[in-house]
Amino acid sequence: MGRIVLLLMGVAAWAAVALAAVFITFNIGGKNQILMFLPILAVVVAVWAVGELVTERVFNRD
Amino acid sequence: MALFERAFQKRELRDPGLFRAIFSNTWLAPLWLLARLYLGYQWLLAGSHKVWGENRWIAVPGPDGLALKGFWERAIAIPEQGRPPISFDWYREFLTFMLNHGWYGWFSWVIALGEVTVGIALIVGAFAGIAALAGAFMSFNFLMAGSASINPVMFVLALLVAFGWKTAGWIGLDRWLLPALGTPWQPGAVVSGLLKRRVAN
Repeated sequence: MGRIVLLLMGVAAWAAVALAAVFITFNIGGKNQILMFLPILAVVVAVWAVGELVTERVFNRD
Repeated sequence: MALFERAFQKRELRDPGLFRAIFSNTWLAPLWLLARLYLGYQWLLAGSHKVWGENRWIAVPGPDGLALKGFWERAIAIPEQGRPPISFDWYREFLTFMLNHGWYGWFSWVIALGEVTVGIALIVGAFAGIAALAGAFMSFNFLMAGSASINPVMFVLALLVAFGWKTAGWIGLDRWLLPALGTPWQPGAVVSGLLKRRVAN
């Protein structure tokens, strides 16, 4: 049960990346592409770190 | 007959180590992430103009797709002097057919939502290979319609990401999706579990 909740939280974190990307595009898009790229990269890297923890706890634990 | 049998007997030709290191090894996942994000935000940006922008293609007052209609009309036009935007007659006839049938209405939804979907899928790394292939297909069609812009770079980059489909989404949702769902020739954990349950019942 705990693993499923953890996995769902990981998926929700990636869904938040999608929302953040749309938000960033909507607000910064077209003005400055570097300013748009960097926040998206930062969010992805942050959620990747969360995802690695989820992978470790959900899939690599016996 | 024996000659043909020998020539086409079943033998697997393995990719060279460098090719596998680039396209099948997770150590280059950060590089694919950068390529994915570049493609993703370009598609999201392009799609956002068509979905939410002032000059959006869809959900406008009046009939949808007039912007796409204008694009197609410019693309199929043959100028009196100089080269036409479209080089291939069959592609011009294809666009003319869609224009004459008024398909720009629903097709503008396909393009606008397709660009946003491909952009988001590439950013979060969900089915990155399929998303990259869909992006390459869209770039290809823009190129065929005579709109170069950044499409040549997008096309080549998308094809490279599609070649690296196994690792392109490693830093992303594919890390979980691919092992769970697998591929048509090798079902993943979830799919094979469902298949076993179906066989048992």
